[in-house]
Amino acid sequence: MDVFSRYFIHKVNTNLRILNMKKEIPILIGVFATVGWFLEFFFAGTFFENWKLFFTRGFMSVAVVGLLVGIVNVLLVNYSKIKYNNDRWYSIYQMSIILLMVAFASLRGVSPGTPFDAMYTYGFIPLDATVFSLLAFYVASASYRAFKIKSVESSFLLVAAILIMLSKMPLGEAMWDKIPVIGEWIMDGPTSAGKRAIMFGAYLGGLTMMIRIAFGLEKSHLSD
Amino acid sequence: MEKIVLFLKRIDRRWIFLLIFLSCIIPFWIPSLFNQKFSTSKETQRVYDIVDGLKEGDAVFIDWDFNPTLQAELLPMAEQFIKQCFDKKVRVFIYYPFISAISLGENALVNIKKEEKYSYIENGVDFIHLGYLPIYTDMMLFSMYSDFKSTFGKEGKIFKGIKTFKDISYLMSFAGSNYPESYILLQRRFGFKMGVGVTAVSGPDFVPYLQTGQLDGMIFGLKGAAEYENLRISHGAQKKHNMKANAGMASLTLSHLIMFLFIGIGNFIYFYEKKYKKSN
Repeated sequence: MDVFSRYFIHKVNTNLRILNMKKEIPILIGVFATVGWFLEFFFAGTFFENWKLFFTRGFMSVAVVGLLVGIVNVLLVNYSKIKYNNDRWYSIYQMSIILLMVAFASLRGVSPGTPFDAMYTYGFIPLDATVFSLLAFYVASASYRAFKIKSVESSFLLVAAILIMLSKMPLGEAMWDKIPVIGEWIMDGPTSAGKRAIMFGAYLGGLTMMIRIAFGLEKSHLSD
Repeated sequence: MEKIVLFLKRIDRRWIFLLIFLSCIIPFWIPSLFNQKFSTSKETQRVYDIVDGLKEGDAVFIDWDFNPTLQAELLPMAEQFIKQCFDKKVRVFIYYPFISAISLGENALVNIKKEEKYSYIENGVDFIHLGYLPIYTDMMLFSMYSDFKSTFGKEGKIFKGIKTFKDISYLMSFAGSNYPESYILLQRRFGFKMGVGVTAVSGPDFVPYLQTGQLDGMIFGLKGAAEYENLRISHGAQKKHNMKANAGMASLTLSHLIMFLFIGIGNFIYFYEKKYKKSN
């Protein structure tokens, strides 16, 4: 960083500190945004129409800049790894794949039939699907070692799990035609009740957070 | 007995992995292994009936919220849904909340077009890929209710008569997470009709919304996709191109049976050891 940039940043920081606005400006933005979105829900009108579009476009701009920061970050992290031989070959591999896909996309586009699409179809799809399918093996191994009837609650859990699994495969219905009905009852009754309770708790927490931000009490998002 | 229990207890996890692997693979070679018929759930039936009730020229908005990770479960149901829309001459708008999902959706449409029945479909006329927007769903919905076309910056005949999201007849979200909740949160406010196609794991998250009527229907896991395929086949669709999910049902059944077996063995060891400790 050159001398001028350092001086400029130092000046800005000093002025913000003098005005004590380093925290207050983000808090004020939070307050206005929260109150605005809250009021918008109850009073629809022209002002709020413009407000919503302003935020939509503003958010898109911020997200694009965020994407740019992400790309620069990946390049810098991998550059330092290659330079100091810290898992160098993994970084070289990652960088070459990224640059190759960017080059293909820039030169020939991304529509089906292009080299980019070939890399996606024959590289990304099988790899992505494989990583997720590994879950089935770990679930099977875990069910063997951990899914045990150690208490009344766990026995309820086990019976419910088996009934749900049976209701979600054709064999269950072939064994007894009431299995899907029981499975549906478990989903509609106990499962749904539990889910609703969790949702109520989460949304009450969200509402509390909104009130705290609206009153300027919440400062955790400012690293305070 | 002790030797058997000791053997089972010390069984290497790689043997379990191998058995699960075989239980997933073998049924694809022997399709008649578990060929039981199954009924259609009311949630799947509701999605089918809603699309069936749409008129020529109506429009549906598909939220394609899944990567290749979940394509085994969600791709068959998404394909069937899109094909049913084309059967009804309904316009299809496909939006991708993840960048990495775009090519998957584009390839799915290319594959559908390869079928003789759907060879007429044209991008920008019968369907359109709306791409990805780096914004939250609520902001996107607000923008779509203000001006649908300019939200995505796309052009085509397909936009004729579609000014705002009010002109969209149905929203269908295919997801393996709770992402569709971001639409459901605003469903009551805007009053649009929507359904979801979800994985078996995330399905229970959406049951309360079915009960409140915020969701009109739900395709639930691989079985739901197979139910949807069977519904379309029973209404005249060819078996040849519409059996992807049904092909996986035998694999699903056998792998679940293997899971039951392991759970049973695990509990047998647990109770045997408990009894053994008590007696000593």
